[in-house]
Amino acid sequence: MAIGGASGPTRGLGPGRVLVVDDEMHLRLFIKAVFESAGYETATARDGEEGLEKARAFKPDLVSLDLMMPNQGGVRFLTGLRADPELCATKVLVVSAIEGATFNHSLALLSAGPGPAPAPPDGYVEKPPTAQRLLSEAQRILAQGAA
Amino acid sequence: MSEPLSLLLVDDEDGLRRVLSLSLADRGWRVRAAASGEEALALFRAEPAPVVVTDIKMPGMDGLALLRAVKELDPDCEVVLITGHGDIDLAIQGIKLDAADFVTKPIRDETLDIALSRARERRGMRRAIREHTEHLERLVESKTRELLAAERLAAVGQTVAGLSHSIKNMASGLEGSLFLLRQGLDGDRKAYLEQGFEMLETNVRRLKDLSLDMLRFAKPEDIRRVPADPAEPARQVTALLAARARDQGVELALELPGAPGTGWTLPLDVEALHRSLLNLVGNALDACRAAGYGPPPEGRSGGRVTLAVAPSPEGGVVYTVADNGSGMPESVRQKLFTPFYSTKGEGGSGLGLLTTRQVVAAHGGSIDVATQEHAGSVFTVIIPAQYENKLL
Repeated sequence: MAIGGASGPTRGLGPGRVLVVDDEMHLRLFIKAVFESAGYETATARDGEEGLEKARAFKPDLVSLDLMMPNQGGVRFLTGLRADPELCATKVLVVSAIEGATFNHSLALLSAGPGPAPAPPDGYVEKPPTAQRLLSEAQRILAQGAA
Repeated sequence: MSEPLSLLLVDDEDGLRRVLSLSLADRGWRVRAAASGEEALALFRAEPAPVVVTDIKMPGMDGLALLRAVKELDPDCEVVLITGHGDIDLAIQGIKLDAADFVTKPIRDETLDIALSRARERRGMRRAIREHTEHLERLVESKTRELLAAERLAAVGQTVAGLSHSIKNMASGLEGSLFLLRQGLDGDRKAYLEQGFEMLETNVRRLKDLSLDMLRFAKPEDIRRVPADPAEPARQVTALLAARARDQGVELALELPGAPGTGWTLPLDVEALHRSLLNLVGNALDACRAAGYGPPPEGRSGGRVTLAVAPSPEGGVVYTVADNGSGMPESVRQKLFTPFYSTKGEGGSGLGLLTTRQVVAAHGGSIDVATQEHAGSVFTVIIPAQYENKLL
């Protein structure tokens, strides 16, 4: 990724590009502002469908994803992202109201479901998120990718 | 006493039958007469009578056999037996077979009158008991339903899950607004300040609404009914929500069909009803938004919410809140009055309809909903004129 050519994500001088996918407006604004303030380039999407469109155009390094959107929006987004050869390497940070243990359980269920299971997200922050948690988790995930 | 006085008279003595028929008709009874048990039974089968007056001793089918046959056809039918001198044992047998009374020959008008009024009283009592039993059954059914709802509230997992979702969303919103305000102040960024303030405002309001809903739900307020115009809370709510409806591109109409106009008063707690109607109309506007009605250019036009106030046939008032919004599937309708159940995600506490129902119940009234998915919903609130102290 670090040696991305013309087709790779266009890197500015900042730490990276973050796409925020959340159905709740306030959360979107909040998370966007957190990454913006830390120097990231940001884009937002209101649901999984719009998220995939934006991801194709914006080519983010990291997606901040609300997994529990209506109509399984989060899960569909994750599946769609992992199935797209251009996007499958994008890191995913899940921001969700469900607790860690429940979240892991739901991931297990997801992989037990029909069809190919999407690769699990790279990180997880429980709601309500704090700016500090979001940024440290994002840094950790992106550092992994660069390693 | 509303029942017409109608009886079937059975005696094999022509003379007695004719005299009694005349005498009873004279006192307002509609009399059908039969000369034998068999004939009486045939008449009864053709058209049952509330009261049968029959001689005991008759050739063929006697009075006791007729009594049994009639009781089998209609246990509510009252039978008065006519006995001869020295037939007291037969009379006792008749009473054991559930005859209402017996009169001894020679028949005196007063004695017969007393026997007949006893028979009618027995019928009235029987009916009252039956109605009472049915009412009790209904009461038990509705209380059972409420008990089940209370048990659902006690189902901690579900309750906390619903509530924790609302709380986490509000906590996120508050966290977010603090962050935006701090960033806005530090970096002098006006956009952050504005967003942060809007977010703070919204979440403070949500927090306030949820806390107050929970308070009201935990400890229902006393309802204080004073004579008031039933249309008043509806007018207030329509005026209050007019701007919001306009912003949403939804037509909000107040209808007062058949309202008696000035001087119409009922004992109501206007403030509590105001809150309840506000909740119902607010829900209806939400349903219109969920159905895609909204201001141009993105929104569809044609969204409509109607609040109607009309006198009920029983002298109370009926409030109807109808919308052509998203409606509800059966699975949602069943859970409407479940505490902390909400379809609005971030926006609902899941207590609004519940507190509305409490207010309506405290007025001795009822709330009902008819709904069809993608077509709309109609909530009907009926408040009776007379306050019935329902068991709560």
